[in-house]
Order: sequence, then C-alpha cells, then structure tokens
Amino acid sequence: MIETFRRVLRRLGSVETTSVLIVLCAVIALLGIFLPIRTSNWMVLPFALLMANLLAALATNARLKSQSMLFAFHAALVAVIVLVGLDRLHAMHGRVEVAEGSMFDASAVAAEHGLLHDLRLGEVRFLQGPFEITYAPGMKRRETESVIRIPEQNGGWREVRVGDHTPLIFGDYRFYTTHNKGFAPIVTYVSASGDSRTGAIHMPSYPMNENKQGLAWTPPGATKPLKVWLHIPEPVFDEAKAWKFVKPTNTRLVLIDGDERHELSVGEVVSLGSAQLRYDGLRSWMGYTIVGQSMIHWIAAASLMACLALLGHVLSVLIYGSRIPAAGAEHGG
Amino acid sequence: MVGDIVARDGAAFEAQMLGVAIVIYLAATALSVVVTASGRARQHVTLGLVAIALTFHTIAIAYRWTRLGHGPYVDMFEILSSNVWSLHLAALVVFLSLPRLQPALAATLPPLAVLTIWMWLTPAKDTLHPVTYATIWLPIHVTLGKFFLGLVTPATGLGIIVIGRRALGITLPSLPDSETLETYIYRLLLIAAVFQSLMLIAGAAWAQNAWSRYWAWDPLESWAFVTWTGSLLFLHMRPRSTARPMLSAAFSLLIFGLAFYTFFGVPFISTSPHKGAI
Repeated sequence: MIETFRRVLRRLGSVETTSVLIVLCAVIALLGIFLPIRTSNWMVLPFALLMANLLAALATNARLKSQSMLFAFHAALVAVIVLVGLDRLHAMHGRVEVAEGSMFDASAVAAEHGLLHDLRLGEVRFLQGPFEITYAPGMKRRETESVIRIPEQNGGWREVRVGDHTPLIFGDYRFYTTHNKGFAPIVTYVSASGDSRTGAIHMPSYPMNENKQGLAWTPPGATKPLKVWLHIPEPVFDEAKAWKFVKPTNTRLVLIDGDERHELSVGEVVSLGSAQLRYDGLRSWMGYTIVGQSMIHWIAAASLMACLALLGHVLSVLIYGSRIPAAGAEHGG
Repeated sequence: MVGDIVARDGAAFEAQMLGVAIVIYLAATALSVVVTASGRARQHVTLGLVAIALTFHTIAIAYRWTRLGHGPYVDMFEILSSNVWSLHLAALVVFLSLPRLQPALAATLPPLAVLTIWMWLTPAKDTLHPVTYATIWLPIHVTLGKFFLGLVTPATGLGIIVIGRRALGITLPSLPDSETLETYIYRLLLIAAVFQSLMLIAGAAWAQNAWSRYWAWDPLESWAFVTWTGSLLFLHMRPRSTARPMLSAAFSLLIFGLAFYTFFGVPFISTSPHKGAI
C-alpha cells in the first residue's frame, strides 16, 4: 500500500508529468485568448494539478532535494500558486460612481468578491470633492486628480488627493480613479404625498458618450420611468486643442414624460402629474474601481523569492556546472 | 511656431542619425554572412560596424527622448527602435565576450535585420506618454524584457547554426561543435529565464499600478505566460534529452518566436485594454 502510494507520488512528481502540465497550462492560457474561459474555474484546474505535481516533486525528486536553490525555486512557486489562490478567495473587485459633494455610498457599489472576503465597504466614509482631468490635443487623456475629504473623529475633514497611480486606501481597499466620469444633474423631487428628496442623476460617461447624455430615470416612489436628457448648449471641448474636464454652463434638463416634453433651466420647477421636480444645478461624478486585496505583498515577496532562487541556481550552474570545452579542444561539425 | 520649427528640425536630425545607423546595421549583417561563409573565425570588422551603428542609433534615441520627454516604448516605431538598439547591443556584448562564437553572427544578425527594416518602414510620429506609463515599474519591466530578448537572440543564432548543420549539412568548421554550441544555448536561455521571470513580476507590478490588477489573462499577458512556459518546458526537458543540440536549438527558435510575437505582434493586434501601447 505504502509502496503503491510512493509509486503514484513519484509518477505525479515526475519531470514527464511536469512537462505535460506545463503544456496544459500554456494551452489553457492560449484558449483563454480566444474563448471566454479566462474567469472560469477551468483556469484553476491546470494550476491545481501543477501545484500537486510540484508538491510531489519536492517530496520525491532526488535532484531537487540535492540542489537547495532549485528546491527553493520550486517551493516558492508552490507558495505563489497558493497565495494567488488565497488572493482570489479573499479578493474583492467593484465599481462605483460618486457625485461631487456626495458621500461614498457602499450600497451603490457593484461588487464581486471571493468566497472568503468579508465585505466591509460600509466602514468606508469619504466625501467626493472636485476633480481635475486634463486632455492633450486629439482627445488624449492626461492626468487625473481627485480631491477626497475624509471625516475625522474630531469633527474635521482630512483632505487627500488621489489620481492615476495614487489610490485612496482604506485598510485592504484601494479606490482607483478611472476614465469613467461624467455629469450629474441635481434634482429635488416632491412626490404627490409631499415627500421631498434631493439627489443626483448620473448621466452616461463623458466625453465618451458626448452625444448620448440621456437615460431612463424612475423618480422615488414612481412606477413609470422618465426619459431625462442633459442639454449642453456650448461644446465643453475642442478635440483639436488641449482642454480640462469642466462642467458646462447654461445646461438644461429635458424631461420626456409620455407625450409631454419639459425643458428646465437651473432653478426651474415642473409639475409631473401631482408631483414636482426642480432642477437644482449640475455637478460631476467620478467613477472608481475598488480593489480589495490583502495578499499582493505576499505574492510579490514569494515571486521575488522564486526569482532569487532561480538566479542562485543559474549562478551555481554557471560556476559549478558542466564545463564548456576550451577553444581548440573540439572540432566543428 | 518656434517650438514647431525646433520639433521639425529635431525630427529631421533624428531621422538622419537613424538612417546612418540603419545603413551600417544592414552593412554589418551582410558582412557577417560573407565573413562566416569565407570560413574566418573572427568578426572584428562586423562588430566594429555594429558598434558604430549603435553610436548613431544612441544619438537618435537620446535626442528623441530629450525632445519628447519619455523613453522609446510608446508606439510601434519606438518599440522597434529600442529593440533594434538593445538587441544589437546584446549581440555585440555576447559575441565580444565569447569570441569563439563570432561566426554565429551570420545567423544572429539577419533576424535583427528584419526588425531593422521593419523599423525603417514604420513612420516615426511624435508620441505622447500615456498616463498609465508614468510609473517606475514600466522602465524596470521594459529593461528586464530587453535583457531577456537580448539573451535569447544570440541563443537563437546558435540554434540556427545547429539546425543548419543537421538539416542542411553545413559544417562551419570555424565554430565549435554542436554539443559545445548547445551548452552556450542552454546557458543563455537559462539566464534569459531569470530575466523573463523578473520581467513578468515587474509587469504585474505595473499592471497593479496602472489598472488595479496584477494579472488578468489579457492577450499580452497570456502570450507572455506561454513564452515563459516555453522556457520552463525547455529547462525540464533538457536534462533527460538524448539529443540535446537539436532540442536546445529547437527551443531557442520556439522561445524566440513566441517572444517575438509577444513583443511585436500581440500589442498591435489585440483590442484589449492592455495593449502594451496604451
């Protein structure tokens, strides 16, 4: 029984098995380019098998055991695979849009997370301040700088500036600014029962959807959506010139309620049946990618260990490995 | 207006320097073939020409870098230019360090001539440094990649010699035997594998910085991974091989081919966000 187990372990950890699994990993990676399997569990299978192969090789392969650097390289690869697996289980990825002057709302986050992730976005509190995005001629996006205000225990606010390579960090969560941003008309809606609510309607991303600044919006408590358009009378930018992302002036909010069309300037009110809606003004919104990763430093450390061990092995091969015959000791052909 | 004139004159100066470099690179390539075919064991003049071409090319790159304010890694022309430069420099260093292998320049420089002509035919437009490129990890990633490809290229030249001897019956007595060449191929690919691994890590750090994820299996990452598996497969198959010269030669060509496609093909075919040029 034990002998059978050892034989199986030796076979599992053999170089031939390793070679087959390396090819399998390559094939799966190539298939992932052409088929929608990149995020599927199929990607896990060859790497799980490779890890089993690595563990069996570490236990049974005499060459690995006798060469410490080679052993360390393979052990570090196991660590990398395990840590990446744990990272996937603990990771969180989300997207959110926050309007200027509004607090971050965790319930607005579209999030995906691993089985072991303890979602704690509710603890994150910050206020979106103004942001600046510059464009070079030809509509080439340059730097993004977003001002964030974080409430402090003494009642004050701490201001931080985040941008392209500087995320907003809350514990294991990192908020990255994105190319996704736009305009947000602020409206106050007074329902038929007299309830008044003020909020922001996030228009589609700008300037990506420059000519499609509209959407269907259902007022609070209503059952029927309205079509809402933001009319921008003057172009915000000239594509041929450098420009900064700025809010347009003299905008009008166009509401289409069935057959009725209403056009509101800032401060104007319209009656929608027995309800009322007021256009209070225009703000902008910034889109963030939220990443929850607690393992990346460990993965980086294990990867670096693997490389250093491989380097050590290479040096030992170059210094102590098979000697190359000196010039004249061999003949061509 | 003055800025436009300076930029136009600067571009013209770069083009002149680059034109001289291209002519000398191609002359060196032709000479390397002639010298090896004549049976000579050393390629001093060839290497001298490569060094002169590199000098002109360095001036062109340095001038462009100063003028545009960023390194040569944004568009196809810049990527080709920097690789033509780094691969010729690698060939110069390797073959000066290993003079007995100099006849193999005749197999190493022709693939670089293809890149050189490709660069020549590619329009040299002024480029803007993308925001996602403003990280220290990018130059680290790019430099490690150049070391990797710079080591694989002479290994490929040796591999072509080994296969040529076996398949075409070419003897090339001025070079060591194929077993000895194989040892060099192995060592070059082994060192290259270290730089390749470090390149992947630096690339992951850049991706984390730029796109908030270290690995997403986009086409460029997938092809880079496949190239890495080529190196791993070679290192695992070689110890047990009974036909090492052909195995190592074949893998040198395979790894070079995969790396070539990853470096110069995928970034300009893929439509994914990580295009290597965005």
